Amino acid sequence: MFRLTIEKSLNHFISANNTDLTHIDNKVVSFRVDEIDLTLFFLCLNSRIFVIDSPQHKKVDVSLITNNASFLAIFKGASLEELLENEDIEINGSVNTAQQLASLLSSSSIDIEELISQYTGDIVAHQLGQAFRQIKKATIKNDSSIISTLKDEITTALIAPSRSKFFKGRV
Amino acid sequence: MAKTTHFGYKEVDIEKKQGLVKGVFDSVAGKYDLMNDVMSMGTHRLWKNYTIASSNVKEGDHVLDIAGGTGDLAIKFRKKVGPKGKVILSDINDSMLFEGRKNLLNHGIIDVDFVQANAESLPFEDNTFDCVSIAFGLRNVTHKDLALKQMHRVLKKGGTLLILEFSKVENQMLEKIYDLYSFNLIPKFGEFFANDEDSYQYLAESIRRHPDQETLKNMVLDAGFEFCEYHNLTGGIVALHKAIKA
Ligand SMILES: C[S@@+](CC[C@H](N)C(=O)[O-])C[C@H]1O[C@@H](n2cnc3c(N)ncnc32)[C@H](O)[C@@H]1O
Repeated sequence: MFRLTIEKSLNHFISANNTDLTHIDNKVVSFRVDEIDLTLFFLCLNSRIFVIDSPQHKKVDVSLITNNASFLAIFKGASLEELLENEDIEINGSVNTAQQLASLLSSSSIDIEELISQYTGDIVAHQLGQAFRQIKKATIKNDSSIISTLKDEITTALIAPSRSKFFKGRV
Repeated sequence: MAKTTHFGYKEVDIEKKQGLVKGVFDSVAGKYDLMNDVMSMGTHRLWKNYTIASSNVKEGDHVLDIAGGTGDLAIKFRKKVGPKGKVILSDINDSMLFEGRKNLLNHGIIDVDFVQANAESLPFEDNTFDCVSIAFGLRNVTHKDLALKQMHRVLKKGGTLLILEFSKVENQMLEKIYDLYSFNLIPKFGEFFANDEDSYQYLAESIRRHPDQETLKNMVLDAGFEFCEYHNLTGGIVALHKAIKA
């Protein structure tokens, strides 16, 4: 559900804005957040993004290792260069490619705090929020959200996924 | 000795299964939608909505719904792809396609193509579709490996395969209740509503003979898909496998 919501939000944005994805086509970008044991793999194919739990045999082109706060900051529009300067993230691979994906994540206005709260519980989400607010220098974009519409759509369709499974890497 | 396969809990000559399955769906076609609602208590609609939500289908896409029967998914995909897109509803059984056509007309949909085809030999060009779906159809197919390879063939690179199918219940307690329900009540519902206990007995049995989540995932990967994940719905009564051709 977590990955599905991100995937849907991204693709909704891409389709509504006719976003050109050629620069990240056929690339796999991974995000790792150690503190909450979360890894997301973003695969771009056929003009859309798939959020998958494992790259299988495909090579990961760029990997980002973030902490809670920088993970949130990326979704809120922080520049990767700045986060790198402050040593809030580690990037292996092209920063440019990573930035393209990061910009998509922030443009699609995913309410990541709320999403995480559904799966880790409100306390972790609150801690995440607090940690994020400590990154003062990050450039934050306007947070108008399309996520509620998408979430409603998914929630009505969804039949009680087990929370515990999320961090074990299921959809 | 002739090769055999399962038809529900019976072992039958492999060549005969397709005809026997046809008999079942010829028999249930007229009452199929009513029975779906009765047997699943309406939940099949939620499972199908989740499938659509997972599809990433967008305007202009080409979608193939295999074993599409009375067209529930085709109706929803049609709305998603818009006027520039294309949806094909295919099924091996003409009685089911006939019901599907009626159903779509009742929904005011005239621009879905109907193709009578066996999932094991799809009459479409390679790399044609952005999405291929099969809902509650795969367990009826005799050579599932062949069918999965065909689905892979007709998908474009980056295309998505969605398999919605009954699966292995996760929780033992739920499994017991579900067994009681499907082997005692479902055939009785079949008799009461459709005057056809045997067909519904087959449906209940065929669910148990279908590969579990992990087995099916491996079959999908063996067919050439690079990624495959599944999501259990209603405690694993049903699972949605989503695969990508990379
Ligand atoms: C349980 S119905 C599912 C109908 C519809 N997809 C739904 O979800 O309501 C199964 C369908 O699979 C079709 N079918 C069985 N074997 C098939 C095969 N080898 N190739 C294509 N369709 C097949 C049947 O004719 C039937 O319409």
